[in-house]
Amino acid sequence: MRDLFRTATAFLALLLGSTGFAAAQTSSMFSNLANPAIGMNALFSGQAAHNLDQPYGLQFDEAELSVISVVDPYWTLMGNLVFAPSEVSAEEVWARNSNIPGVQLKLGLLRGTFGKHGLLHPHAFPFIQAPIVMGNTIGEEGFKDAGLEAAWLTPLPWYSELTGGVYQAMSADDQNPLDLASTRHDNIPYLGHFKNLFDLSDATTLELGQSFLQGRGADGHRHAALGVDVTVRNVPPRDSNRRGWILQGEYLQKGVSVDGAYSHEADGGYASFQYRLSQIWWVGVRGEQARDSYTDFLVDGADQPIPGKINRGSANIAWSPSEFSSVRLEYSHAQADAGSGITPNDDRIMIQMSFTIGYHPAHPF
Amino acid sequence: MKSLIRCLSILMPALLAGAPAHADLQVATSLTDLASVAQFVGGKHVTAQSLCKGYEDPHFVPAKPSLMKSIQHADVFISTGLELDGGWLPLVLPGSRNPKIQPGAKGFVDASQGVDVLEKPTGTVSRAAGDIHPLGNPHYYADPKNLEVVARHLADVFSELDPANAAEYAANAKTFQEKMEASLEKWEKVMAPYKGASIVPYHPNFVYFAERFGLKLFGTVEPKPGIPPSPRYLNDLAESMKKAGVAVVVYQPYYNADACKEVAKRAGGTALAITTEVGGLPGTDDIFSKFDVLVSSIAEALSSKTGGK
Repeated sequence: MRDLFRTATAFLALLLGSTGFAAAQTSSMFSNLANPAIGMNALFSGQAAHNLDQPYGLQFDEAELSVISVVDPYWTLMGNLVFAPSEVSAEEVWARNSNIPGVQLKLGLLRGTFGKHGLLHPHAFPFIQAPIVMGNTIGEEGFKDAGLEAAWLTPLPWYSELTGGVYQAMSADDQNPLDLASTRHDNIPYLGHFKNLFDLSDATTLELGQSFLQGRGADGHRHAALGVDVTVRNVPPRDSNRRGWILQGEYLQKGVSVDGAYSHEADGGYASFQYRLSQIWWVGVRGEQARDSYTDFLVDGADQPIPGKINRGSANIAWSPSEFSSVRLEYSHAQADAGSGITPNDDRIMIQMSFTIGYHPAHPF
Repeated sequence: MKSLIRCLSILMPALLAGAPAHADLQVATSLTDLASVAQFVGGKHVTAQSLCKGYEDPHFVPAKPSLMKSIQHADVFISTGLELDGGWLPLVLPGSRNPKIQPGAKGFVDASQGVDVLEKPTGTVSRAAGDIHPLGNPHYYADPKNLEVVARHLADVFSELDPANAAEYAANAKTFQEKMEASLEKWEKVMAPYKGASIVPYHPNFVYFAERFGLKLFGTVEPKPGIPPSPRYLNDLAESMKKAGVAVVVYQPYYNADACKEVAKRAGGTALAITTEVGGLPGTDDIFSKFDVLVSSIAEALSSKTGGK
């Protein structure tokens, strides 16, 4: 240890004494012209919920640091690092190739193209809370894993995209409810996504999506998730920054195949409606149901989480004085039924503040 | 097998309909003005379309997947540049899966190259000043002279991509310049009596037009770029307009007309719907008719409200 310290001290002294180091401090020896675009979003929230034994107050949820730049004529690299109160993690780090006609290739640590809500970063969630079914099927923030995806824009006359992906075997945990952890050589979890979007008018679009994800679990069985989504979106061209609405519904299911017999483990869906009142005000309502699912207020007598059927309604209002900050106020009421007379209710009021600095392009449509 | 054949027979016409239409060069642009110039320069060898409609805010074009589909087979993409389309183009271009038009490829054009850019920020760039454009004001297409620069640039690009018709592209760019010079002379005569007159636009996208025709800009209806006005701000603006004798408020069809009408009413002036983009209002189907309508409507408003100044 002493030797290491001595070596480090000598090396530091050498560095500080060298003319090269001095020059680097005072001149533009290193060009920063090709540095990536950098942006950061920070989320803070507070909630009052009578069922949860938590102190009230404002809390820091997470900060997302995003960097993106062109690597060379063939690749673009994007990194999304998340700083949460108890951890720092790489959420997405992928390279994208746009040189193949009709096909977009992405590889690295991906947010898999599954469903609609699962593609969103938390600051872009339409409601502060993710639908309960998300955390019980593919993950509250979507399916995230290392892999390779190819998205083909088919020659059909409307926007029709077919995506296929393969991923690394991954254990089930808090963020990923699917057990895809088999170490068998034939276990390559794979995903398929089919998205079709139609322009119903200048202002209104209809989007239909189907998703499928499958792999073998540590138990040797096939585990799968499937989803369908429908979105009708209205953005009047003359008021694209002031008016519009989004009507969206999604159904997701998680299941397992044992000896060829498929049984579903958890499923559910939501329907939501968001309406833009003006440049700075949005309101939204959502209804949802999750079956055989877990949520934070559904526990047994020993305070252990138990599955059940949960119905929840939410309403929110958002104030965005600019494109780069917003404050949202949300209320939700939920009723759960876990059988055996366990039927808790939950009411909560939440507030969330979002701030963005640096580079931040529009979110995917 | 029979089902497969039936499916294919249904899908085939749709697949064939998706094939690109024939033209020497398929051109797509961020803005209608650029499509109009591209069509003039390209003539019969070019089919030009704009992703942003003339009545749509070019800052906030929804990155609809259908836009990606519409440029899947384009040979050229002309961006306005200066980050005017920076909010949505980074989604639309890669989404097109068209390698020919990605930045760095021959088919990608930044139309702002060669233009004298106004309002380049000096010192620290901060969003405390609103949603500013760090590379300078990107609304250069409101000055007819800048479009001559764009036309010459496009002739060079088209010639490189389609050398067989290079002479025609160069001749068209020259004709465009001559027609624009003649038109400019006419528009300058119309605007001459109003040199030094003040107007209030909604957003700072009138700077180039004002500079060309000698108008003064008396603030903006929005307090800072991208920030909507509060009632108090509108009241203060109306009061200062009244004191300074400024009576004309102008706004594009995609801005808040109510706020503009309110401030004009309180100032005892008039609010005028204008367009700085081709297709923004009826009768503005190409770049020349756009300036015809824009110049005559502003001259008329200034004439009735100021009688010259």
